[in-house]
Amino acid sequence: MDIGVLSQFLLNGLVLGVVYAMVAVGFTLFFGVLDVIKFSHGDVLMAGAFVALASYAGLQFMGIDSPLLLVLLITLAAIASMGVLGALLARFLILPLKSAPPLNTLLATLMFGLALREAVRLFYPAGSNPKPFPRLLPTDAYTLGNFTLRLDSVIIIVVGLAAIVALHLVISRTRLGLAIRAVAQDAETAKVMGIDFRWVVLLTFAIGSALAALAGVANGLYYNEINFGMGLLLGVIGFSAAVVGGLGSILGAIIGGFLFAGLQTIGAVWFTVPAYKDVFAFAVVIMIMTWKPTGLLAERSSERV
Amino acid sequence: MRRVTGLLFPLLLFLAACSKNDGVETVRIAFIGPLTGGVAANGLGGRNSADLAVRLRNADPDTKYRYRLEVLDDECKPNIGVQVATKAAASRHVVAAVAHYCSAVAMGTVDVYHRFGLPAVVWGAVLPDITYGNDYKEVHRVNGTMINQNEVAARFMTESGYRRWAVIHDTTDYGRGHNRYFRENLERYGGTILGSFGVTADQQDFNAELTKIRELKPEVLYFGGLTPIGVRIRSQMERLGIDAVFQGTSGIVSDAYIQGLGALAEGTVAFREGAPAERLPGGNSFLRAYRQQGYSDPPEAYGPFAFAAANLIIDAVEKVGPNRKRVTRELNATRDYPSAVGTISFDEHGQNMVPIITKFVVQDGKWTIWEDSDYATGKRKLPR
Amino acid sequence: MNARPATIDRVIALAALAAFAVFAGLFLELEEQWEIAALAVFAVVAFYLTGRSGLAARIETVTYAHPKLSPAMVMLAVLLVALALHESHFALLMLATVMLYVVACLGLTVQFGYAGIVNFAGAAVFGVGGYTTAVLATHTGTPHLLVLVLGGLMAALIGSILILPILRTRGHYAALITIAFALLFKTFLEVNDALGGPQGLKVPGLELLGWTFNTRIELSDDREISFFLSYVVIALLLAGFAWLVVKRLERSWLGLSMDAVRLDETAASVFGIDVARWKIFAFTLGNFLAGLAGGVYAMMLGYIAPTSFTFSDSLILVSIVLLGGSGNPLGVIPAALLVVVLPEKLQVIQEYRFLLFAVLVILILRFRPDGLLPRRPRQYFPGDGK
Repeated sequence: MDIGVLSQFLLNGLVLGVVYAMVAVGFTLFFGVLDVIKFSHGDVLMAGAFVALASYAGLQFMGIDSPLLLVLLITLAAIASMGVLGALLARFLILPLKSAPPLNTLLATLMFGLALREAVRLFYPAGSNPKPFPRLLPTDAYTLGNFTLRLDSVIIIVVGLAAIVALHLVISRTRLGLAIRAVAQDAETAKVMGIDFRWVVLLTFAIGSALAALAGVANGLYYNEINFGMGLLLGVIGFSAAVVGGLGSILGAIIGGFLFAGLQTIGAVWFTVPAYKDVFAFAVVIMIMTWKPTGLLAERSSERV
Repeated sequence: MRRVTGLLFPLLLFLAACSKNDGVETVRIAFIGPLTGGVAANGLGGRNSADLAVRLRNADPDTKYRYRLEVLDDECKPNIGVQVATKAAASRHVVAAVAHYCSAVAMGTVDVYHRFGLPAVVWGAVLPDITYGNDYKEVHRVNGTMINQNEVAARFMTESGYRRWAVIHDTTDYGRGHNRYFRENLERYGGTILGSFGVTADQQDFNAELTKIRELKPEVLYFGGLTPIGVRIRSQMERLGIDAVFQGTSGIVSDAYIQGLGALAEGTVAFREGAPAERLPGGNSFLRAYRQQGYSDPPEAYGPFAFAAANLIIDAVEKVGPNRKRVTRELNATRDYPSAVGTISFDEHGQNMVPIITKFVVQDGKWTIWEDSDYATGKRKLPR
Repeated sequence: MNARPATIDRVIALAALAAFAVFAGLFLELEEQWEIAALAVFAVVAFYLTGRSGLAARIETVTYAHPKLSPAMVMLAVLLVALALHESHFALLMLATVMLYVVACLGLTVQFGYAGIVNFAGAAVFGVGGYTTAVLATHTGTPHLLVLVLGGLMAALIGSILILPILRTRGHYAALITIAFALLFKTFLEVNDALGGPQGLKVPGLELLGWTFNTRIELSDDREISFFLSYVVIALLLAGFAWLVVKRLERSWLGLSMDAVRLDETAASVFGIDVARWKIFAFTLGNFLAGLAGGVYAMMLGYIAPTSFTFSDSLILVSIVLLGGSGNPLGVIPAALLVVVLPEKLQVIQEYRFLLFAVLVILILRFRPDGLLPRRPRQYFPGDGK
């Protein structure tokens, strides 16, 4: 295999990894503050992509046709709406279930994901069909031997990584981040110290969901196609990535995301039937978990109660 | 025991009495297809088309019976399929079924139809074994099998001068069946397959597979699978700069394929059994009536088949009455029945001997019959 | 001291059982929209009232006081419902399906409710039982009873691949192990030709002691007994067996050890309980039960394919356990009835039924977080209710 093809695989893996990492960061955030798994995360991503698509149609109708402006506005619409949805979800489904067994939250959010998916399929015009997503990023391509690099791939990688880094800075450098970390460490003490627990939780869910929406838009822009089922597998993969990396750690989520993308790419190249790649990736995940039971970057405290 | 039955039976009798109607006998026909999940678009198109057949017939003053469509969702899952097929077959009121888009489901339910003696007409599932894998008199199929489709596809493409293929197929029975029959036929006509890649039906990213394919430098990329991943593969081909002809199967001959791709769909070729609806007087009136009813989903590629299947059953009932055994016999005797998809004649396995396979190419955002297209006249050219 | 419940309570309990049986029978048999709606309203109101008036607690006390008699009465009730529905194939198919799901979910109850292991690969394990049965019954002359047992054993064996990872992880980390397994199992089946690939496998009908289950029994020209009745009977026996095992387990020191393991592993190990041993035991036993149920299910349907054993099907099993009230075997029964039959009854709303179903489950979880019938605190002296 020559270097061109190898770089092509690497590039594919990078884009995939960034999208996975963005989803995984959400899982890790929610787990950090509330010790819950919000399994509708993948479907929130899908809903974000559909909001972007709908607002694209709306903006076009209003006569806006600058690609840059369009891409900014639809991303904004997706992020804002999913942020609100995330906060609502936390307020009306996840916080009320706080005292119930953790598995209930998992199941409730799974069912919410199913409801969201079915709702998009039923109520978005012709929602059961795959939808074309507009090409709004510049598609200038640079070809070098067997390697094709398109500008949009680069933009997606850069924006995705920038979003994750920005989130990391918010959490480690700002007062809000301090509050989130305090709640994550010990909710009771944080409350005693005057931190508005509920507000922090809502905001965390808003941020995580907004990031999922961004991932959804990136996904749409990259593949130029979205469909109501796209969140299902992405959600599970994001969850796997977050867990493999070590729940609660942003860096872990990033590592997990790229690891999973790498495994899938290796699997696809390795097996003559590429469909085995998911079997391969998930089998390796099980093995890693056996080796490192709390993820690659283990939480500092050995057990959370 | 007495307590249970004592309460149960009077209630049931009461309910049975309630549902009596006004003179004209109501005949129930079951429609079974996927209404939820990934391939729901096709199921809904089929349901609307069968529903259309029933509505049109009920509006006709000359009919002997009133018809009612019992719609059941098989979710494209064999276990659910067996459940709902049992429901339809066990119900005394249901006379026949218009059944199944998904082949794996049909494979599971044919035994149920046979066991209960319910005549069923398959409207979309294409696996040959559904009709040829058994001797059940109850099972019929109006659409053709994937064998016919791939025979024509392989001959046509090799005659057009193509020699080198790469294949992507999904790992469902549909995709793998197409892979198998296309390979067999292509070898006969002298084409070569450089590499074939099985992918799962819910996969999003095909860059790795397509990068491998680009290495092989095929002239044609054959895709055996359904619309959703067909759209994804075609659009990711473009990203990697693969300019091979995209050749699909009946699974992508849908409006959704073109809507999902926009301009990129141009030049995609695909093959489907049956004459195109637009070309037949019956098909044309079907499309017109479908539009008039204002269904929210399009009929999709197999809608006309569901419509034809429902009409076939209704005509049999009109002729011999609502009796399963007689309807089965009547259906088996179907010869040269004019329908929205051309004439239907069943062979001894209940398989419609479809003489026609239609070649399609996407031109200006429409599935166009090859012979009518600019590509046939030479005005436009497929990539070479 | 007084362990015997009042006679009136026993009568109430019997009446409640009878009422539930009639309700279940009607729920299975009726088809019309308004009938289903009326039943649903009735169920919600009755459930609310019995809970509110303290009747439910009294009934439960009775069942606890008669640990042997009450399951026998429930089985008798199911049998009576089945006999009453002897002609409706579909209702019987659903009844047998519910019962087999109950068996599988009892297996999950042992794993999750007792030992605290969440299994998101329940359907995969169920599928292992089904596939083993399919292969053995088609290609070998093994007696079918043995085939079913082998199906269960195979499920336990395949499940044992996961034992090491599960022992090492806990909480959400352990959840990922089974989720990953559920996903890779289905894809593996689809891609692998040896087991029929995506097309699936035909499964011969069950034959026990010379009795072919798939033959129909004709009473007269017009009337017949559905062959699904035989499957209801075997599913019922299986459920009875699983119930017995699970209940014995709960009441024994084994159950006590597993409770300790679930509630606090560290404390349990300090008290000399071998945590790993009980986890392995619970996980294997649970998988065995699920595999057994999967085998009968495959034979009843006569056809299995990978799409029947997906991650979403595993989720359905987990939902049943949670909705029933995790750790309470009794709760599994109404929950299975609800989860298996309700989507089927919602066929009238066609493409909208999944949406409604999801919303219903969310509502139940939101307003009854401990499930329909929450597990009661352990009673160390049976009958010492209040």
